[in-house]
Formats: sequence, C-alpha cells, structure tokens
Amino acid sequence: MKRIVISIISIMVLSSCMTDEKYEDYNRDPKNPTQVSANFLYNSAVKSLTDQMTSTNVNDNVFRLLGQYWTETTYTEESNYDLTGRNIPQRHWSEMYRDVLLDLTNAQQLVMEDESKSEGEKSAAFAQSEVLMIYTWQQMVDTFGNIPYTEALTDNKLPVYDDAATIYTDLINRLDAAIPNLTGSGFPGADVIYNGNGASWKAFANSLKLKMGLRIADVPSMQALSTSTVQSAVAAGVITSNAGNASFPYEGASPNTNPVWSSLVESGRADFVAANTIVDIMNTLEDPRRATYFRQNLGAGVYQGGIYGTTSNYFTNSQAADVMHDPTNPACLIDYAEVSFFLAEAAERSIVGTPADAEGHYNNAITASFDYWGAANVGDYLNNPAVAYTTASGDWREKIGTQFWLAMYNRGFEGWTAWRIYDAPQMNIPGDTENPVPFRYTYPVNEQNLNPTNWEAAAGAIGGDAQSTKIFWDVN
Amino acid sequence: MRKQIKNGSSSLLLLLLIFPCFVFAQTITGKVNDNKGTTVPFANVIQKGTTNGTTTDMDGNFSIDVESLPTVLVFSSLGYTTVEQNVTSAGPVSVTMAESAEALSEVVVTALGISREKKSLGYATQEVKGEAISTVKSQNFVNSLSGKVAGLDIKSSGTLGGSTNVVIRGSSSIAGNNQALFVIDGIPVNNSTNNSKDQTTGRGGYDYGNAASDINPDDIASINVLKGAAASALYGSRASNGVIMITTKKGKQRKGVGVTLNSSLMVGYADISTLPRYQTKYGAGYGPYYGTNEDGYFNDFEDINGDGVADLTVPFTEDASWGGEFNPSQNIYQWTSIYPQLSTFGQATPWVAAENNPNYVWGASTTAINSVSIDGGSDTSSFRLGYTNMLQEGNLPNSSIKRNSINFNGSQELSDKFTVSTSFTFTKTDGQGRYGTGYDSNNVMQQFRQWFQTNVDVKQQRDAYFATRENITWNTQSGTDLRPIYSDNPYWTFYENYETDTRKRYYGNAVLNYELNDWLSLMGRFAFDTFSELQEERTNVGSANVSQYKRINNNVSEYNYDLFLNFKKDLSEKLNLDGNIGFNLRRNEWSRFEAATNGGLNLPGVYTLDNSASPLGADNLTEYEAVQMVDGLFGRVSLGYDNFAFVEGTYRTDRDSSLPIDNNRFNYWSATGSLVFSNLIDANWLSFGKVRANYGVVGNGTDPYQVFTTYTIQSPFGGVGSASNSPSLKNLNLLPEEQENWEVGLEMQFAKKRLGFDVTYYDALNINQITDVPVSNATGYTSVLLNAGTISNKGWEVQLNATPLKTDNFSWDLSLNWSKNESLVVELTDGIENLQLGSFQGGVSINATPGEPYGTIRGRDYVYHENGQRIVGANGRYLLSDESNVVIGDINPDWNAGLNNSFNYKNFNLSFLLDMQKGGEVFSLDTYYGFGTGLYDFTAADNELGNPLRDPVADGGGILFEGVNEDGTPNTTRAEMTGAGRFGYNQPNAAHVYDAGFIKLREASLTYNLGERALAQLPFNTVSFSVIGKNLWIIDKSVPYADPEAGLSAGNIQGNQSGSYPSIREIGASLKLQF
Repeated sequence: MKRIVISIISIMVLSSCMTDEKYEDYNRDPKNPTQVSANFLYNSAVKSLTDQMTSTNVNDNVFRLLGQYWTETTYTEESNYDLTGRNIPQRHWSEMYRDVLLDLTNAQQLVMEDESKSEGEKSAAFAQSEVLMIYTWQQMVDTFGNIPYTEALTDNKLPVYDDAATIYTDLINRLDAAIPNLTGSGFPGADVIYNGNGASWKAFANSLKLKMGLRIADVPSMQALSTSTVQSAVAAGVITSNAGNASFPYEGASPNTNPVWSSLVESGRADFVAANTIVDIMNTLEDPRRATYFRQNLGAGVYQGGIYGTTSNYFTNSQAADVMHDPTNPACLIDYAEVSFFLAEAAERSIVGTPADAEGHYNNAITASFDYWGAANVGDYLNNPAVAYTTASGDWREKIGTQFWLAMYNRGFEGWTAWRIYDAPQMNIPGDTENPVPFRYTYPVNEQNLNPTNWEAAAGAIGGDAQSTKIFWDVN
Repeated sequence: MRKQIKNGSSSLLLLLLIFPCFVFAQTITGKVNDNKGTTVPFANVIQKGTTNGTTTDMDGNFSIDVESLPTVLVFSSLGYTTVEQNVTSAGPVSVTMAESAEALSEVVVTALGISREKKSLGYATQEVKGEAISTVKSQNFVNSLSGKVAGLDIKSSGTLGGSTNVVIRGSSSIAGNNQALFVIDGIPVNNSTNNSKDQTTGRGGYDYGNAASDINPDDIASINVLKGAAASALYGSRASNGVIMITTKKGKQRKGVGVTLNSSLMVGYADISTLPRYQTKYGAGYGPYYGTNEDGYFNDFEDINGDGVADLTVPFTEDASWGGEFNPSQNIYQWTSIYPQLSTFGQATPWVAAENNPNYVWGASTTAINSVSIDGGSDTSSFRLGYTNMLQEGNLPNSSIKRNSINFNGSQELSDKFTVSTSFTFTKTDGQGRYGTGYDSNNVMQQFRQWFQTNVDVKQQRDAYFATRENITWNTQSGTDLRPIYSDNPYWTFYENYETDTRKRYYGNAVLNYELNDWLSLMGRFAFDTFSELQEERTNVGSANVSQYKRINNNVSEYNYDLFLNFKKDLSEKLNLDGNIGFNLRRNEWSRFEAATNGGLNLPGVYTLDNSASPLGADNLTEYEAVQMVDGLFGRVSLGYDNFAFVEGTYRTDRDSSLPIDNNRFNYWSATGSLVFSNLIDANWLSFGKVRANYGVVGNGTDPYQVFTTYTIQSPFGGVGSASNSPSLKNLNLLPEEQENWEVGLEMQFAKKRLGFDVTYYDALNINQITDVPVSNATGYTSVLLNAGTISNKGWEVQLNATPLKTDNFSWDLSLNWSKNESLVVELTDGIENLQLGSFQGGVSINATPGEPYGTIRGRDYVYHENGQRIVGANGRYLLSDESNVVIGDINPDWNAGLNNSFNYKNFNLSFLLDMQKGGEVFSLDTYYGFGTGLYDFTAADNELGNPLRDPVADGGGILFEGVNEDGTPNTTRAEMTGAGRFGYNQPNAAHVYDAGFIKLREASLTYNLGERALAQLPFNTVSFSVIGKNLWIIDKSVPYADPEAGLSAGNIQGNQSGSYPSIREIGASLKLQF
C-alpha cells in the first residue's frame, strides 16, 4: 500500500511540476514578434501599395491590359477581360486592405502611442500615413465603387459597404485635416518617397485632392464640393515639376525589384507585347515617345501592336521598352504630367482659371511626360496639328483624355481611368470574347461567401455587381 | 496435404537432399473430439520438443510417425485449449479438446497498448494480421491497408515515395489534421506530412511522403484499427481521428534462436490506361496565326540554316498541339535544328508525329525488400532483432528511395514481480529524384499531360541531353534565342533539377512493470519518437524556372511519459473488475529551418546557399521553433459479468499548452457496454453473437501559436526594416474542440464461424472546431481563428467473413469490408456561407459549406435548360455559368469496399483483393488544359460527318456539342474547332470533373508453403515462396487517361489532379525462410 501512495504522490508531483504560466510561454512564438516599430509597418505598406499598382503579373492586377497598353501573346484570358478565372479582384482587394491599409492604420496607432515622440512628430506621421491611406481608399472606390469603409479594419467580421460618394466626401475632409500637419518627416529614415520633405508631401496631398475634386465634377449633387476642393487644392500648391513626383525607387535584387521586371525578365516568359490600341494612335501621331515606350525589335522606327485580345506573336509585334525590363525602374504614385492634365481640365471647367488657360497646362503635361521618359522633340510634337490643343480633334475631353492616356503608359490604372473619365481614346473590343472594356472590377468572389448579406446590399446599391456597372462619378 | 508429399515424386527429391535420414520406428494413430463430442478437423498434432507433426483430417483422425515411445503429443487448434497428451502406445489414441473461452474472444490490443478480450469491448475494432501487409509489401506499408479495413480510407498520391492520406470514418476536422494517429507498441509516432501549401494545392513542389512510411512492414505482428471516440478516448486529444495500433513482432520462448529471412523483389510498370493517348495528326501550335502575316501554322522570320533567307520554323514557344497537320513531305526547322551543339543543327526535318511520345520516359521500377530477424527467448526473457533493407528504383530516371531499419525488442523478468522491456527502432530513409508534383516545370507530367508538342520525340530529347548535358528543350524563346520559355528538356529535369532527402528516425520505449500484488500492478513507460530530415531541392542554371538551391531541415520529436496503476480483480465468481488509472505527459518539439538562394545561382551546378546571386533576406528564410506540452490524468473501469455482459467507463482530464491559459484544461469521458448474447442462446448454428453500444467524447487542443497574433518580418527595403501584420488574426479566447460520438454494433458468427458478420453504425459530431476561418479581407485579415463550425459524420461499416468451401485439401475463405460515410458540414460561423479549404488553378476550389458534405468542388458550371440539358451558345460552344463559384462536385465517395478471396489447396494459397470505390469526384487540371491544347487522341478525331473536327466548319469540320439552344431545341450549330482551348479551358470547369470511382485488382499472391514433412528433413522451420502482384488491373474507372486515386499529397485538400502520375503495376516474388 505504501508503494501505491508513493506512486500517487509521484503522479501529483509530475502533474504539477509545470505551471500554467509556463504552458502559456510555450505558446509564444519566439520567431515572430508581437511588437515592431511603426517604421517597419509603414515601410511594408508603401512597398505593398506601389508593388500592387505597378505589377503586371496576371495574378495581381491587369491594369496595363485594362488600359490596352499591352496585350497578351498566347494566353489571352485577361486581355479578354476574364478577371475571375484568376480571382484578380480578390487579390487586389486583399492586398489593399490587408497589406496596405491595415499596416498603415497600425503604424499610425503605434506612432500615436509612442511616448518618445513629440506631438509635432506624431501629427506629422499621422498626416503622412493619412495621405497614403486616402490615396489607397480612393483607388479602391475607383476600382470597385461602394466598399467597406467605416466598418473595415475593425473587429466586425461582416463589415457593411459604404456609399462610394459618401466615402469620397469623407476622404476629402480627412485630406483637409491632414494637409496642415504635413510639416516634416513622419517616419524618419523610412520615407523613401520624399525623404522627409514635408513640402513635397503637401504638394502630393494637394494634387491628390485636386484629382478627387475633379473626379466628382460631373456628379450633380457634389458640384459645390468639387469646386471648393479643386480650388483649395490648387491654391495650397500642387506638384509643379517632375522633381515633385511621388516616385518609388526599386532596388536591384529580389524581393525589392520592380515587379514588372519579375514578370518580363525573371520569369523567362514572353507574355506581353504592345497593344495595337496604343501603337496605332502613336504611329498616327508619330509620337517620339514610341522609342522610349517600346523596343525597336521590329527594326529602327518600326512599331506594331498585337491586335488587342487575340493571340499575338512576341516577335512580330513591339515589345515593352528596355527600361521596363530594368529591375530598378522606379514606380510612381502621382506625377507632374497627371497634375498638369488635371489643371487643364480644371481650366476647361472654369473651376480654376478659364478654358483659355487649358492649352498651357496641356502643353506642360505633355512636356512633363516627354521629360520623364527622356523623349526628344516635344516642340515638334506639340506643333503637330493632331496634338496641338487648338487643332487636335474632339472636345476638351477627347484632347485631354487621349494625351493623358498616352502619358500614363507606365501607370495602367490611371490610363484605364482616363478612358472612363474622358471617354477617350477609343478602346478596342478584345478579339476573342468581344467582352466590353470593364467599368469596374467585380467584387471578390469570397465576399459572396464571407460577407454575403452586405455584398448583396452593395451589389444592389451600385446597380449590379458587374464589370459593366459604372462608378458613381462616371455619369457621362 | 502431408500424404500427398509422402507419396509424391517431390518427396523423392527431398529424400535425396536431406540429411540425416531419420528412421521412424512407430506410427501413432488416433482421433480428436471436442468436449461436445464433435470431431475436430485440421487440428495440429506435434511431437513435443521436435518439429515432427501432422494435422487431423476432416473426421478428426490423425496418424504420426515417432522414433520411440513413450512420447508427448501436443494438440492445438484455433478455438480450443491446447492439450498435451502422454502417449505410451501406438494407439489408437483418443483426445478431447475443450473449446477455449479465448477462442471466441480473441485478444486485441486497445488504446495505450492495453490487451483486452475482444468480446468485452463495446466498440468496433478491426484487426489486420502482419502477413496481410507483409506478403505483398509496399514501400509505404500504409498503402497495404487499402481495402482491408472497413471505414479506413487510404489514398496514395501516386508518386515515388509519396504521401498517403489516412482517414478513418471521414474528415472530422474542418481545417485541422484529419489523419489517423499511429501508435507502435504504445508509442504514438509521428505521421506528419510536411509538404508545402503550394505542393498540396498543386502549385508545384515535392511530396516527401508521410512519416508513417518509416514503419517497416516486416516488423509488424498485427495492426488494430480503433475507429471511434470511445475506443480511442484514453489517448486524449489527438485520437479523435481514430488510431492505427501497431504491434511489432516479439521474441518467443523457444529453444535456441530463430532466424527468419524475407526477401522480395517487385518490378513495376506504368499502367498504360492511366497515361495519355496522344494524337498523331497535328503538331505544335495554338491555331493558324503564325508567320509574318499571322495566318499560318509556322513562323517565317528567322534564318536557321544560315543561308540569309528566313526559314519555316515550328512556333517554338507554343506548348500545344493544335497546329499544322502532319505532312511527311514538308520539311520544317524544329528544335533539333536550332542548337549548334547538336549534329542536326541547321537541318529541317519532315513534319511528322514523334516516333516516341512522352510515355517513352516510363521505365521499369524495382523494389527489393530484404530482411533478417533473429529471435529467442527463455522463461524469463525474450528478444527479437530485425534488420530490413529496402531499395526502390523509380520508374522515372534518376529516382530512388532507400531505407535501412533496425529494430530491437527485448524483455526480461528481473524477479517474479518485476519485468523490464524495451524496444528501439532506427530508420534511415534516403530519397533522390522524387517526382515533381503539380503545376511546375519540375513536374514533367505538367508538359506531358497539359502542354506539349506531339511532334517532339522524347527519345531524341533524351539523346540530346546526354550528348550535351545541357537543357536542350523543344520549348525555346525562339529559333535563335535558345533560353527555355516554359518547359525544360525532361531529362534535364530528371538529371539536373532533382531533389535529395534523408531522414534519420529513432523511436522506442522503455517499460517497467511491477506487480504490487495479485490484482494490482504498476507500469512506468518512457517513449520517444524523433526524426531529423534534410531536404534539398535544385534548379540548375539554364532552366525555365529561376535557378535555385533550397534546403529544409526538419527536426521533430515527441516524448511520452506514462505511469499506470493497473488492477484486475474478481469481485465474485461471476463479477470481474479491471481497469487502470494513469498519468501521461506528452512533449512535442518542432524545429524547421528553410533557406533558399535569392535571385538565382551564380555558378551552375553548385548547390550551396553561398552561391546565391543576391543576398538572402527574410523572403528566403523561414524559421519555426515550437514546443507543445499536454498532460493528462485518466482512468478506466471495466466490469464483466459471467463472461457475457460488460460495461466500461473512461474519464480523462487534459491540460494543453496550445490553448489560452484560461481554457487549457478540459475533460472528456466515454461509456461502453456489450452483451455476448450467444452465451444465453443454446443453438448449434450460432457460434457467437454480440451486441455493443458506446458513447464517447474527446476533447482536442490545437497547434502552437494560435493564441497570440504576431507580425511577419520582411526583407528590409531602402535599408529600413519592414514588417507586416499577420494575415491570420489569432484568438485569445479559443476553447478546446470536442467530438461526440456514439456507435452501435452487432457481431454474429454462424456454423462454427464459417459465416459471420460485424455491422457498425456510428454518428460523430465535431463541435467547437478550431478553424482558421476566412473572413472578408476588408477586415484587414485573410482569416481569423475561431471556435467555429460543426461537422457531422455518420456511417455504416460492414465486415463479412465466409468459408463457402472447405474440404480435406481445399478451402475458400472470403472476407468483405464495406463502409459508407456521410459527411455533413452542419454550420460554420455566423454570416459565413462557405469556407475554402484550398483553391486550385483554373478557378476551382475545395470547400466546406453548411448543409453540404465536407469537400465540395466549386467552379464554373454549364448553363442548364429547364429540361436538364446543357445550353449551347450561338457559336456552338457550351455556355458558362455567370457564377464561378457553383458546386460542381463532391470528393466524398458513396461507399468503399474491399473483397478478399483466399483459396487454400494443399500447400498452396491463392488470394486476391478487390478494392472498390463508388462515387466521389475529382477535378482534373490535366484534362482542363490538355484537352484544350489538343494532345489527346480524341481531339484529332473525325466528327459525325466523317470530316476532321479541326477543319473549319465551312469545310464540314467542327463539332456538334450535345445540348440545346436557349429555347430548348436541340443544338444544331457546329462549333468551330480550328483553335486550341475548345475541349479544355474554354469549357466550364464542370466538364473536367470526373467520377473518381474504381474497381481495382489491388493485390494478388500465390504462395507455396513447404510441407511439414519435407521441412522436417531440411534445416528450416518454414519455407514459403510467393508470386505477388500489386495494382494489377484497374477493372473499371471513369477518369480518362489517369488513375482516379492520383492526388497531390496527404491532407485535407483532395479532389484535384494536376500533372498526375500513372498507376504502377507491380509483379514480383518473395521468399520467406525460418530456421
């Protein structure tokens, strides 16, 4: 019996030799931190944002195809606007919410809790992350329409979708609140875009505000807001030269290369050639930028685009320029050419200046694009009657739209959006399926499964979850 | 049987061989009856202390020659107590054998290694004898269980050394582990499959197999499968998926030492019915749009032969065979003409179908398994030492798996009361050239099944590789830019881009047993299982993929400390009590280090991290270190009444470090009852009858690190550190998972067990599932860990045994296992309508959806008319559903069955196993792409007008898809088939979902055992020779050109074929010698 007692005691001893606290420690991951600095999160978010906006990997985004700058050679599903086969909307959605917005929100929180920072440093960091978040939110609205906003990034697992116009209004208010605080470097050492230059951030923020103000110019109920937004943005100072571009410098080695390099070079594939949509227009205009946009693989000065949306031979069509095959080619979130076109539009709309001022901004914009790409003979080009503002065909929308689109060659999303805003240039209907050019991305398939009630309400509110549904500002 | 040999010519031969010749002086005759007066046929009669013996005939008569009298004869027979009888005269001797109680209640090993009388158990268990898996051996013994146990679903991925999915009674966990627990002699052993997520979802990578494949079939004495919660409750948390209990062979009390030699050799060939049949009419291309004018089948803008004029070339980039019609009189510059290092450089060749299509790569595999064991024992000790060498050369070049294992078992009684025993196994497994899987250029089946040119001769590709040792691919960027674009030369893949791996594994235990008194004993046991493995993957410079060297080190350990107090006491003459109380502490440790070069290799063929083109960063390195502790106190009490009524209860309380501190303790229990009603009925026809019922609950923790949310560190950018939120939000309030299970069963045996059945119905409900639930990504997370979801599994299991024929020389035994499991996802969490378990290429996913079975296939469907017909659009092609998320299949089979027939004639045994699956579905990416690219024979057939279907419709070509127009009238529009895609990826995913059912002749063996008389004159106790076969014949299947069982990996993501491998038909022979 004594032995039994001994054994029972030994059981008890064994059983109690570890405390619950020790057990909990086993459950703390030594290899992944629960605390990081705000700089880390900011750095990751900015790179995620530029990667996603720049990439041409058909699993990430297809903006260069939506803009019809490029077309696919052999596997043409995406050029034919089958966006669900690869769940492209889902990828975009999750990158933006998860890897950009949540990390920026989190960085913002960490900065505000950081007792070592002064109030001024905190407000500068807060404002700087605000600008990038607003940029991202606006991009998401322009891509999808109504999206989860007020209940997004919260504990709510079933976030409701907010009205797109209401989100726009709120974003403009947030910009107004942030701009005065953009006084220095919010994230010292981690600001690869402007290296802590507060004035550049202000110009970026005002340029973004200008863009947002113009985007709602045709929405009847928002015209007052549009006007005040554009006017205050321009008054406060937008980007005035290519030096002020929100440029993101890529590096030579993975994973910090320009994602376009990964698709065009590292993959060893030959998936893209220039689309006939852009090459034909540039050929007609004898646009000198062709030499900087495309390789001369068909011989000096010979450019041909693959018929958009049909299988195209990699060797008998123009390929993307060598600079786009460079891993360190910078990406850009906003640039001087874009801003100048906006100023031309603001002049045409007589919001800032008069239509007479439009030509100057138009010429500035094209010149900025030539300078950016290192193209020659901008003077001759501006004198080409098909380019010159006074003689080019169409109304101001067509003139600005066509040249804006041409200038946005390396920024597919803006190119596609230019077509949506200005209804110019004339896009091609993809050859294989004859699907029309989408006006928006459909919502991610997993929203149907994971947030079904709110998805259904949103689909109804925007007029159907289809690629043919227009974003609220696309009223013409 | 013995009589025949005595008189046969073979005995003459043996007489010549034998030494020394015994002269028998006496013949004893006699008859054996049982205690009811019936005769006992086929009883063994052995002269004690010798190997001299015989068996009784149908009427219980026997006759045996002995040297001298008196002697002792030992009579034994299944179902009877062994009798030793002193014989002083030649007879006739009359022997009475009593039916043994044990006979009708075999002893089986149950949870924690506790031996129990089977009849006292209130739950279903099913035993598989060692011979059943060691006669026809598999490289991975788990595969040998297929079809042999009702309710056990075995699915092998089909690659060399690949993993095997082992699920008992359906998947019980939505997102967690559903693999059965393997236990060897009471030691839980690891059966993890450490394949990457990319590998399991078909994105490429190697299948490194499941860890249970280290278990050596020659060391296995028996396997017992515990299926339900009540059976496995004592194991605690992780036995909720059922347990495969393995008992290894031990030494027996005997004179001297026994030696057993086992040798088997199998040769395997790819089953041609599971490989593509290629068309031979058209060559490379996607359609007629090549050349300067983009209207032909060939390109014409490169000068290959150097004459300054552009030549007609194959579209080298195009990995499809929807191109120009073969024409032997037309010469085309093909891949053979563009490599200056080849003798055929600059030469055009006739445009013809390849003489050697990709099936050329399939050679013969050989699997040699040789083992030797020594065993011995005395009254107080026993030991067994076994060594096995397994060498498998794969069917593809440069592939092999080698395994060496040593196993030792020993026990020693130190005193009447104190026994020590130990078991130790060391296994080393080396793999080389495991087959690449999934959608990756390192899987040659990707090109062979999906993307290929039928004009490419694979033998020529082989010769070109060996002539140059370079990546001479058919799939270059162009005729002058020779970099590969998508596919490598397959032999380059085999010989340059191969993996190697090695795993060293040690497991064993030490057990001390002390009898405190005649009813109480104390057992202490320490068990360990630890392995370390190194996996190295290579992609050489010059491949289509970025060159890379990757290494993965895994160290996995488990330690178990057990202390049991066992009691067994007869409370009265009829009332027996037994049970135990115990304590178990389990510690698991994992360590994983994974590193890969960044941006390629600098030096070709140098596989070290130093050779990385760019510095290694966070994206190239993965570290994982974890410890999990679980301790538990448990008890079991069993009461038996008069050997026919039994009740039992178990209770266990666990503490698990993987759960939050406030919820880490949990309790569960089980209750069972059984009644051997045949003891109450006195009927000759009824040999045995038992009803049983049980209810059990099992709790479960989770994996480490599911409680605290962490950040993921990324490679620095711009010299500044970078980190992101984890995509999965963890949960500080997780609760343990719970499985509730009830089960009833009926077992009956008739006519002296000539006919019997065992039927079980079970109902298992898993609640509070710890699930990484996908959430709207607008939350900022991809998934959130929740106690979400209820999954139900209900089903029937039937075992039938019959001996339809039994005569003196001949017997026919038949056994059938049949099982049907119905799985149902009852609920997930509020507001979430579907949980995606995995997504595949082609927009197809595997899902858990409330109200549906676990594992539905979703994708794009046809559009159906209300009359049920598929609707064809204006272009003659099937319309695709708007929604890309429609249920188009269900991976769960309707039922599974295994039917084994065994025929004994004299010393011969012939047995064969039919393995069947009814229903269940699989999506084939292979046909989705491959039918589209026009590789397969039917894509080049004639249409119903007798014209080539690839001809333009205007010329009478095209095809009439069966279906209706939007208005319901039959389709009469012929679809244009001049370009690729129409049969494949232009169709809805549903067109590539197939019934995965099959009937297979899984195993067959013909064994000859040398007769005892002949053996008596040889230095052997047993000589057994078998001719064996495995996966001999797929009698019926629906999946075209593939094995319906082929998959990617063990795990929850099944139902997807991508670059799948053929079934391997193996035949061979084995020899067993014991002396």
